[in-house]
Amino acid sequence: MKKIINLKVNGDIYELAIEPWRTLLEVLRENLGFTGTKKSCGLGTCGACTVIINGSPVLACLTLAFEVEGIDILTIEGISQKGSLHPIQESFIKHGAIQCGHCTPGMIMSAKGLLDKNPHPNKDEIKKALAGNFCRCTGYKKIVEAVEAVSEGK
Amino acid sequence: MTIKPDKYSVVGKRLPRVDAAIKSTGEAKFSEDIILPGMLFAKVLRSPHAHAKILNIDTSRAEKLPGVKAILLNKDTEEIYAAPDETVLATDKVRFVGDEVAAVAAVDEDTAIEALGLIKVDYEPLPAVFDMEEALKKESPKVHEFYDDNIPDNINVSFGNVEEGFARSEYIREDRFVINPTHSCFSEHHMCVAYFDSSGKLTVWTPIQSSHFIQKNMAYNFKLPENKVRIKIQNVGGAFCGRGSDRTYHYIAALLSKKTGRPVKLRFTSDEEFLVYRGGGKYIMDFKTGVKKDGSIQAVYGNFTIDSGAYLATQFIVLRFLALNLQMLYKVNNAKCEGKLVYTNNPPYFFHHGAGMVAMRFAFGSQLDQIAQDLGIDPVEMNLKNAVTKGYTTPSKIHYASCGLSDCIKKTAKQSNWKKKYGKLPKLRGIGIGCGMIRSGGKGMFLYDTSAAFLKIQEDGTVHLFTGLPDMGQGSYTAMAQIAAETLGIRLEDIIVIAGDTEVTPLDIGAISQRGTFTTGNAVKAAALDARGQIAKLAAGKLETKPSNLIFRDGKISVKNNPEKAMNFSDAISEALNSTEGRYVMGRGFYNPPITAADPKTLEGNSSLAYSFGAQIAEVEVDPETGFVKLLKMTAAHDVGFAINPMAVEGQMEGQIFSGMGQTLYEECLMENGQVLNPSLLDYRTPRPLEIPEIESIIVESNDPYGPYGAKEVGQGPIQCTSQAIANAVSNAIGVRIKEVPITPERVLAALRSKDRDSCKP
Ligand code: FES
Ligand code: FES
Repeated sequence: MKKIINLKVNGDIYELAIEPWRTLLEVLRENLGFTGTKKSCGLGTCGACTVIINGSPVLACLTLAFEVEGIDILTIEGISQKGSLHPIQESFIKHGAIQCGHCTPGMIMSAKGLLDKNPHPNKDEIKKALAGNFCRCTGYKKIVEAVEAVSEGK
Repeated sequence: MTIKPDKYSVVGKRLPRVDAAIKSTGEAKFSEDIILPGMLFAKVLRSPHAHAKILNIDTSRAEKLPGVKAILLNKDTEEIYAAPDETVLATDKVRFVGDEVAAVAAVDEDTAIEALGLIKVDYEPLPAVFDMEEALKKESPKVHEFYDDNIPDNINVSFGNVEEGFARSEYIREDRFVINPTHSCFSEHHMCVAYFDSSGKLTVWTPIQSSHFIQKNMAYNFKLPENKVRIKIQNVGGAFCGRGSDRTYHYIAALLSKKTGRPVKLRFTSDEEFLVYRGGGKYIMDFKTGVKKDGSIQAVYGNFTIDSGAYLATQFIVLRFLALNLQMLYKVNNAKCEGKLVYTNNPPYFFHHGAGMVAMRFAFGSQLDQIAQDLGIDPVEMNLKNAVTKGYTTPSKIHYASCGLSDCIKKTAKQSNWKKKYGKLPKLRGIGIGCGMIRSGGKGMFLYDTSAAFLKIQEDGTVHLFTGLPDMGQGSYTAMAQIAAETLGIRLEDIIVIAGDTEVTPLDIGAISQRGTFTTGNAVKAAALDARGQIAKLAAGKLETKPSNLIFRDGKISVKNNPEKAMNFSDAISEALNSTEGRYVMGRGFYNPPITAADPKTLEGNSSLAYSFGAQIAEVEVDPETGFVKLLKMTAAHDVGFAINPMAVEGQMEGQIFSGMGQTLYEECLMENGQVLNPSLLDYRTPRPLEIPEIESIIVESNDPYGPYGAKEVGQGPIQCTSQAIANAVSNAIGVRIKEVPITPERVLAALRSKDRDSCKP
């Protein structure tokens, strides 16, 4: 049985009819076309689906869309604005922190969640903040360097 | 990091990837992001039994469920075989837990899942076999009826004369090594969207390493002309050798689309990824090596027993690679390999990180290290003494036109401070070396190893480059664009790469066997040279010189030794077009290494033109209370011939060291009665950021005479060294050799206990 929901994604309100058991990840990708948020495990183990809700990184695959009705949801599509990339994105590109790129949007959202609260984290804080994000390609070294560089304004 | 002289302006530079921006924003499309109008969702009903007869399948209730559009059973699969021993859906028997029995296409995933629950299958369970040694017994249940035993394949190959080699040896060691099953853990799961449109054309969107083979195979199986099968490889979320070509799921989706006339998406869940996983299987490796007192290897004998799981998949290729590799890294004149694949009721296995060679390198490298210890030889010296060199030809006639192995060993030893550390580290700290090698493409499975490329140049001098080589994260789009830009003397940003779409891009065997940079790189270079030749002819008249006198660089075409005489690249293109002749420049080229495949029986022959080499030195610390091994530092050197993009090469090295560390210390698919007991990233432990070791990457450039700008692979080369280096460091730290990977805390504690017991003996 579908119900009407109002979702606030990247500052815009979307009204749509969905089943109450749909996850935020499904609704973002399938109903709204925000496929920048990637789907991998669907179980909360990989962080590919990370979005920012109320300022904190959240796993969209473990969140029901109805739980976040009316709350500010920020997806990867919302962080680069007016055609210019977010400094974290720039830094990932510059430092070679992207390989296959499937984990990248989630990784960047986790990094943003950290840097918004703690603009100058140390290496360990960065590693902890990214511990929930699985990357099989890079070995994380360049990802941590990229986040560090943002915090140091490099 | 070596600073390169400015011989080149685009290759050899640490440039950001051409696809990085759209990957950073999530705009880059993966197959999973393909959403088509009217698209149906498929789900597969899988066997809960490891081995059972199918007595009856009743789909009547599922058919009645609203939203179900098609149900597929074996009888609907047009007798398609996904592999010689594997039908698309089970016929009358299932052979592993997860074997595909039926499939449903429905309007959404929930409906498809509900429908699976309504299909009733009557099974008659059969005795199953999971252990390879059990499976080899005469009385054991047979997994496939068409074999009298559970051995679908075996080999017995010799190079030189091992008996003589062992007779000449002054020290001989025999060990058994066990390598447990691991999983690829791609970030993007196996999936595809298949669509038979009204013209009868089949389009498949799927993450895969080769569009060529799947196109060929699907055309053959569906009796379609090849141009009516379009394979579109989007961005690929990691591959690591594990996404070669067509699998059963591609046919399931395509058949369901054929039945319904609608696009069908089929995607594996996390559970399915592990259940039907086809990761690296279990290997039992018996090694016997004979050396002289000075450590020079006289003979090697390897006897390999490899779990193939329920189907053959790719393991028969692995067996041959392993045999050859006995004599490819070290100067081994006498080598013999016996090996067999064993059918069991475990999930089928597949290539995984260098096709079984990591397992073999762990075993061989561990044994050599132990021999060095036994004889009191420094392991670095032992490796150097036996290392193959440039110009060397192995007994199987493999020839090294370039080889930086000794350089890699020396550089890692120096950078890691080996001399100061080996034998001098505090208790429970250890250091160990591992060496490896791998080929850059080559022949074997097929007579050809062809890549083709073409490019078209816009009026303003910007370029579209077309290649069939997919980018799974290794950075091939960027490497190919760099090669084209360098050859044409334009900027990297002037090139757009269009790749992996069989309707648009030319033939390419794909990103398999580490062939991309070398083989497709050569094709791209040939295409760019073809275009450059055309442009040179046009520009030579204007600049009043011979075409061969022109230099293409930094967007300019100039006369050799007379840089004042020059014109813009874009002007040359535009003037050619804006003339009565209206010339348009397109370049094309292909590359097929001028070699022949090895003899399938004797395995003799130089089946590849280029080989790359590496060495790594690991430093570890072992916690005696918990048994946990921490990799503190890895110093790694890799001979890539020439680094087209040093930043990407480092990225490959770091990623592989990290994965290799996972395979060596953490990762194991725990199996019980054919079931994977840890089928999620929560239970299957992979390393995460908190476990990043210090990594020092050293790029060695041996300048391969055949490689584009001297380049060779950095595909699955670096990981060949990692396991052995870590295992050897652990042995160095605790004084006991652990011969089974992963080296988990339990195995370390058991080893420490056995050492205590031994030292208590009178
Ligand atoms: S997809 Fe959400 S955590 Fe993996
Ligand atoms: S870049 Fe491929 S998983 Fe992270």
